[in-house]
Amino acid sequence: MAECIPTMDWILDFYNYRVVAQYLPEFGRGIVSTMGISLVALVLSLVIGTLSALMSLSARAVLRNIAGGYISVIRSTPLLIQIYLIYFALPALPLLDRRLTELEGGIIALGLNAGAFMSEIIRAGIVSIERGQIEGAMSVGMTYLQRMRHIILPQAIARVVPPLLGQSAVLIKDSSLVSFIGVFELFGAGLTVLNERLMPNEAFLTVAAGYLAIYFLMSVFSSYAQRKLGGAYA
Amino acid sequence: MFDVIRSTMPFLVQGLWITIQISFIVIVIGSLIGFAVGMVRAEKIPVLSLVLGGYIHVLRGTPFLVHLYVVYFLLPATKVSWLQFEAFTGAIIALSLYTSTYVAEIVRAAIEAVPRGQTEAARSVGMTKLQCLRHIVLPQAVKMMIPPMGGIYVIIIKGTSIVSVIGIAELVRAGEHAAQRHPSFLLVIYGLVALMYFLYCYPILRLTRWAESKLGKVDVSL
Repeated sequence: MAECIPTMDWILDFYNYRVVAQYLPEFGRGIVSTMGISLVALVLSLVIGTLSALMSLSARAVLRNIAGGYISVIRSTPLLIQIYLIYFALPALPLLDRRLTELEGGIIALGLNAGAFMSEIIRAGIVSIERGQIEGAMSVGMTYLQRMRHIILPQAIARVVPPLLGQSAVLIKDSSLVSFIGVFELFGAGLTVLNERLMPNEAFLTVAAGYLAIYFLMSVFSSYAQRKLGGAYA
Repeated sequence: MFDVIRSTMPFLVQGLWITIQISFIVIVIGSLIGFAVGMVRAEKIPVLSLVLGGYIHVLRGTPFLVHLYVVYFLLPATKVSWLQFEAFTGAIIALSLYTSTYVAEIVRAAIEAVPRGQTEAARSVGMTKLQCLRHIVLPQAVKMMIPPMGGIYVIIIKGTSIVSVIGIAELVRAGEHAAQRHPSFLLVIYGLVALMYFLYCYPILRLTRWAESKLGKVDVSL
């Protein structure tokens, strides 16, 4: 029957959805893995980014220089090389007695990379807080940590939520690069189909659709977050 | 160790040269496409503007690695004769499209940042739309585009590292070859590769920051 309908043939030739259906669990695992990797790396990058932003605003030149150097190095070298260097270099450090798994290496590299960009965003947020707030917090006797924790950081981060979300979207896309050191995620699922079936269309159009789905979810979430925070802080 | 550095250096420098060439070609082509797309989007030309908005969202929503594989594997598989290109052309096309989305957003943001009153004033003294664009809006917008373009250029340079995966003999690829030849010096070799990217990118970032302080900053979400 199928040969009566030439358009069907053409579609199957270009994009064989039966093969895609067969590999659907693979793609599903890939999406879950990509989101998991991105989430852990995101948390890591926010921690690193906040620390580095505080260091770059410190009164001590040493701390400022360390943060500045970290940001410059990360921003001036490709993520791919950072992944290679961290994956191969960290196990050589004496404090680790075992080899990092690919997954750990990939997440650390992604976190360090995004941390530099997050740092600049968070820094801009902190700088935007009015001087009076800091003085007010100081005058009621808050210590540096209390000020940061209760007064400055909550407002600073709320102000820069849109760029932070934008950088998170970049992080999700960048996570595809950890497939280079053999971590399985959405792009890796595409590579599996390419290698097992030699079907690049089915492999990469589906992968692209997966990333677009994540991107769409992100943008829905992002406009929701902006509405919420916009009411509270803007 | 110094023997290894001395013997691999020529290959790495050759790789860097190819990285420089690719990034240069791509920033030119990508900027041209991006400029056109950004102008259309800023001028809100009915249907076209919507279509190009979709183009930007799709490219923004997917990793460059996916663009590269789609351009490299999928387009030649369509059996259309002019889509039968080799790896180098494929890399240039994928990178240029990727660049164009960034440039388009910058161009649009810069044009929209020129105050509306200026356009209205120009139109009211009898300038046509094109004259207004040519003499009033663009001269101011282009000035605002310069600093973020530096940032884009650095993103592109770093992006070229990914095309090593389809066999382009650029800097990362050269590093991988060298690392295969001297596996015990892998860290040194990748360190050198990182250093070369740093030497290429860092001055541009500094220049960008300087230009920002001179010309002001436009708010573009990258």
